[in-house]
Amino acid sequence: MNNGKKRLGYAAQNVLLIVYAVFALFPLIWMLIISLKSDAQVFTTTFVFTPTLANYKEVLLRSDYTSYMIDSLIISGGAVVVSVLVGVPAAYALARYNFHRKEDLAFQILSFKFAPEILVVLPLFMIYQKLGLYDTYLGLIWVYQLISMPLLIWVVRGYFEDISVEIEYAAQVDGYTWYQIFFKMLVPLIKPGLVSAALLAFIFAWNSFTFPLILAGRDIQPITVAITKYLGTDTAHYGQLAVAATVSAVPAMIFALCIQKHLVRGLSFGAVKG
Amino acid sequence: MAGLTLKNVFKRYENSGKKKNRQQNDYAVKDLNLVCEQGEFVAFLGPSGCGKTTTLRMIAGLEDITKGEIYIGDRLVNHLHPKDRNIGLAFEDYAMYPPLDVYGNVAFNLRAKGVDKGEIDRRVREIAPLMQIDDILDKMPVKLSGGQKQRVNIARAIIREPELLLMDEPLSHLDGKARQSMRVEIKRLINKIKCTTVYVTHDQLEAMSLADKIAIINFGVLQQFGTPAEVYDDPVNEFVASFIGEPPMNILETTIIKEDGTFFFTFANSNLKIAVPGRYYGVVSDGFRCKMGVRPMDVLVGGDGSKGTPEEIATFENLGDERRIGIRVGDMLLMLITEDEKRYRSGDIIKLEVREEKTHLFDIETGNRIRELA
Repeated sequence: MNNGKKRLGYAAQNVLLIVYAVFALFPLIWMLIISLKSDAQVFTTTFVFTPTLANYKEVLLRSDYTSYMIDSLIISGGAVVVSVLVGVPAAYALARYNFHRKEDLAFQILSFKFAPEILVVLPLFMIYQKLGLYDTYLGLIWVYQLISMPLLIWVVRGYFEDISVEIEYAAQVDGYTWYQIFFKMLVPLIKPGLVSAALLAFIFAWNSFTFPLILAGRDIQPITVAITKYLGTDTAHYGQLAVAATVSAVPAMIFALCIQKHLVRGLSFGAVKG
Repeated sequence: MAGLTLKNVFKRYENSGKKKNRQQNDYAVKDLNLVCEQGEFVAFLGPSGCGKTTTLRMIAGLEDITKGEIYIGDRLVNHLHPKDRNIGLAFEDYAMYPPLDVYGNVAFNLRAKGVDKGEIDRRVREIAPLMQIDDILDKMPVKLSGGQKQRVNIARAIIREPELLLMDEPLSHLDGKARQSMRVEIKRLINKIKCTTVYVTHDQLEAMSLADKIAIINFGVLQQFGTPAEVYDDPVNEFVASFIGEPPMNILETTIIKEDGTFFFTFANSNLKIAVPGRYYGVVSDGFRCKMGVRPMDVLVGGDGSKGTPEEIATFENLGDERRIGIRVGDMLLMLITEDEKRYRSGDIIKLEVREEKTHLFDIETGNRIRELA
């Protein structure tokens, strides 16, 4: 009786999970299918079609797609690197030291994520024009800090707070200098959090559209902006659009798969368990 | 091994709050003077926030010293890095390095110093049975119980053969039984290695049972420094008297009156009358107001022929091997401990006797002890 109930529970759980998986994955599958269809067949809703790689050839070989990908990698990767270099020490300071208006500062950092990008992008556009940051890697990496830094600081700060300050004391008494303590003791302890926060920051940066659309566009075009090119004014090449979108999702997926084991643990546990 | 000397040590934290409050920031430790002889076990005892852990950290070099001098042996250590002070430090919450197993944790300090591998192994194998951690050397810290973690923590502190061993409330996270057995073990260990030890605790029982000398600290000020017997029998002020002993000393406000040439303690709204011991006759007078202190062990339930004052029992607690009785004296409560097997109930009348010669007088304003004239 009890056993039967349990089995029923498992079945119900699985059914719900399957329903959710189908719901979540269907657009992706549909995108993949479109990318393999010729323009003539794009609008048919049957699953029967003649697969073609023409769209892939067109996008990957006969356009600047690779350079867009490289732009995206430089900007998103650069943004994450800067966020880690600046954010980890900032998170440490916010976790360990007491200073004037600490919580206000921490909240302000978080608040960068509150405002919609569209709200700040216009003044930024004018400032960037004046400063010469418009359409540069530096400018975009800088503005992407609004996206990646708050997340990183808040996740990593929590990890630092979980580490007993006595571990640092112990290491000091054991003869470690502050940078040895930081790199040999603390960084390994915050690694799961750091890695998962950095990955999320990378994905957010990668997917960002508003900032690069307005603050770049001539020399530098990340993939999110470049995709819109396949939407011509008179014709929309949905097949090529689908290819561009599909391929652009690949790097983030690869990263996520590589650090999968950190990802779940990193965002759900603290640094020091037990 | 070396002694420890604190000379006029002050500590003030820079206020991190609003600017205008910065001047009002008080000293966390005020003018602390203390000498621990070589091989002595000294306990810093006080309520939380009294500055005892701050003092320990200054000795360890984890906090700056605002003013004053600290010597380990003959060396002035004010500006030495913690690693150069030759100290061992056992932490309150164990501070084990989570990625290392027990062996790695114990060996960590020696490895950081670059001690030769065989020597490290020899010393770990030597310390492990002493702390009874030989069977858990390959375990990870998360798998250990609180008692085991504390053993490892202490092993880690003593493996470097320090001149001075510092322990920061090592038992406070353990449950009652583990705490007792660890206390005994620490005592045994210190007897064996005979290392000068400073032990911070807020538990007077730990201090009384372990220490050769106790330094009682309150609000950053050293109240009394003496052997357990001294601080118990001869407290310098009301704070020390009420901090040492469980249950604490009864301290009651009293007015002294003179009847037929004899002085008595009397209490507001109570007919209890206790004779003032003769040694105080030089300092008291008729109508003199002060506080009277008497330990619960020195208040007795009189037998059948007792001349004690009849009093009503307000509370009765049976703790198995002792019984605690509370008597209302005016609006204050007088506790007494009796080994008398009789089960009382609140409302019962008993004859109350007080060992007058064991009473102490304290100043009503300052709380300082009022001593008999020499």
